[in-house]
Amino acid sequence: MLKITNLHAKVAGKEILKGLSLDLQAGEVHAIMGPNGAGKSTLGNVLAGREGYEVTQGEVIFNGKNLLELEPEERACEGVFLAFQYPVEIPGVNNTYFLRAALNAQRKYRGEDPLDSVSFLRLVREKLKVLHIGDELLHRAVNEGFSGGEKKRNEIFQMAVLEPSLAILDETDSGLDIDALKTVAEGVNRLRSKDRGMIVVTHYQRLLDYIVPDKVHVLADGKLVATGGADLALKLEEQGYAWLDDGGIKPLNIELAGQTLNP
Amino acid sequence: MSELSTQLATALPLDAGPGPEWVKTLRDSGAAHFRTHGLPTRKDEAWKYTGLGLLDQAEMQLATVTETRVSGSLNPSPLVEANVHVNMLNGLKTGQNGTMPTGLTVLSLADALSTGISGLQTLLESLPMDNSSDGFTALNTATLESGVVIHVAAGTDAGRLLINWTSEATPAPLLSNTRLCVFLEQDAKLELLEQFESSNGNTNTCNIVLQANLATNSSLQHIRFQQESKQAVLITRTEVSQQADSEYAYYGFDLGGGLVRHDLHTALRGSGARSCLSGAYLLDGNRHVDNHARVDHMAPNGFSDQYFRGVAGGAGKAVFNTAVCVHPGADETEARQSNANILLSTRAEVDTKPELEIYADEVIASHGATVGQLDELAVFYLRSRGLSESQARQLLTTAFCRSVSDKLADPVLAEVISQRMMDVMPQAD
Repeated sequence: MLKITNLHAKVAGKEILKGLSLDLQAGEVHAIMGPNGAGKSTLGNVLAGREGYEVTQGEVIFNGKNLLELEPEERACEGVFLAFQYPVEIPGVNNTYFLRAALNAQRKYRGEDPLDSVSFLRLVREKLKVLHIGDELLHRAVNEGFSGGEKKRNEIFQMAVLEPSLAILDETDSGLDIDALKTVAEGVNRLRSKDRGMIVVTHYQRLLDYIVPDKVHVLADGKLVATGGADLALKLEEQGYAWLDDGGIKPLNIELAGQTLNP
Repeated sequence: MSELSTQLATALPLDAGPGPEWVKTLRDSGAAHFRTHGLPTRKDEAWKYTGLGLLDQAEMQLATVTETRVSGSLNPSPLVEANVHVNMLNGLKTGQNGTMPTGLTVLSLADALSTGISGLQTLLESLPMDNSSDGFTALNTATLESGVVIHVAAGTDAGRLLINWTSEATPAPLLSNTRLCVFLEQDAKLELLEQFESSNGNTNTCNIVLQANLATNSSLQHIRFQQESKQAVLITRTEVSQQADSEYAYYGFDLGGGLVRHDLHTALRGSGARSCLSGAYLLDGNRHVDNHARVDHMAPNGFSDQYFRGVAGGAGKAVFNTAVCVHPGADETEARQSNANILLSTRAEVDTKPELEIYADEVIASHGATVGQLDELAVFYLRSRGLSESQARQLLTTAFCRSVSDKLADPVLAEVISQRMMDVMPQAD
């Protein structure tokens, strides 16, 4: 589904990603963990096509298409969804209005008829019910005045409505208390499916107690330095990321379930 | 004086027209002022950023009540339904319909002058014309005849009254002068909706003065929506006098017009009066919109809030000048001013100037003015969900202006206006 090869990217002239490669199959959930400044958020932003994130080398093939050649909205219409680490507050834009405009833009791209407001509301209420989210969110402006937890829930809600084939969750756990974390994780788990790939970017292991990944990658200094199963996250929790500084890449006391992608 | 001023001064009638003596005296004083000073120029501080180029047309004629003016083919639909509709064509009242609620009186100014309405003389004579730059007011007073008088009796909630202003192109460009007088007695309520539209290619000038007297605990909701043609000139002055605990709320929406100037002034004369002035202006092409607002706090415990939002694209130009003066004795006043603008083009221009003078104690005052661009992160956020870049920008600029229309009490009207704004939202270059 998604094949990233030797990806290099710069932000404000500084190289952040330095040869990242990743292979994600439909139905898989991959976690990307790493210390601050490793390039975790950059990866999500590069995949979503944010301006100012300049790809200098490498390629990203998504469902057979060169993702990096597409505009952000084309990527969204192709099925890429980035759940933002800091969802943007947009005063004056009603959440329901925005989401319907987004869904209809995607439907138009796929050659489908737009949903009228009645069918859209029906769809939206269904999704809210499944995610156990109240409908007060529908009447408010996009993220305006939302608490941290509400913002993240709104991201998951958008994801549920837009049904992307690739979801990238950028530090969705940051700033959440344990209850909010559980709600968000439950939402994500409900959206797991054999047709959908997910990349869960996180600094802490605790999110992975609730969203159990198929693979865990360690991102350090712009590259994936280790890959393993769900248990790798637990070991990282125990040992921290300090071992990365000891000459860099060879993990101490960590058995690798997969292989090091960039030895 | 400019050539245009001389031309207009010459066109002023020599005799003072019909009506009682005091009206003739008033007209004479307006004519004398105009013959001395003419129209304002950029040399006048209050008109520094606004030139009258668009108004300066050869053959410009002063409209008079007696002439036949138009075909009346333009029939724009009202934004929303109202109890009473008053139709104005090129500044002249052509009719009214609807069911008049008990306690509401609507008369043409000519009728009101001949029958005499209590307080009308005092109101008309109270309009300040002290500055040399008051040329438009002087012209309006010199030709005082066309207009509407609205009276709401004590304790009456008159609901919504719509004034439908339409302008149609005439063989020679026309400058019309119209006066609106609004009286709200104690505890009275009125929603006054003014809707301005004009035919394509209309180059006429409307010069309108509105005077409102708000008695104790009365409430005037004043909505002014204009979508004039790109060549039309609209000069309006609103003068509001507020007694204790009265409320004046103004919502202005400038979507059209080639040259638009609005002077909005409210005086809070009684304690506990409230005044909320808000507006949105959208500019593209070479259009020019100038809003001058002034609030005088003259009694204690007053509240005023000014909230204006502007979007300028193309070579559009917006001027926003807002002043609050808290006079001696107007203690415990709260006054807020906020003006924010988005520039969509390097050729667009916004001149914003909030002013604040305080001569009283225990005053809470805040003011802020910004001119900026759209938040690019918000644009990206919307695009990352599938909206095209132009869709995203349109949604954000509309939302920015929607913060004004959302203040309207009627959600239906708010939605209609917001949709109209979205339809004409200027695009980035």
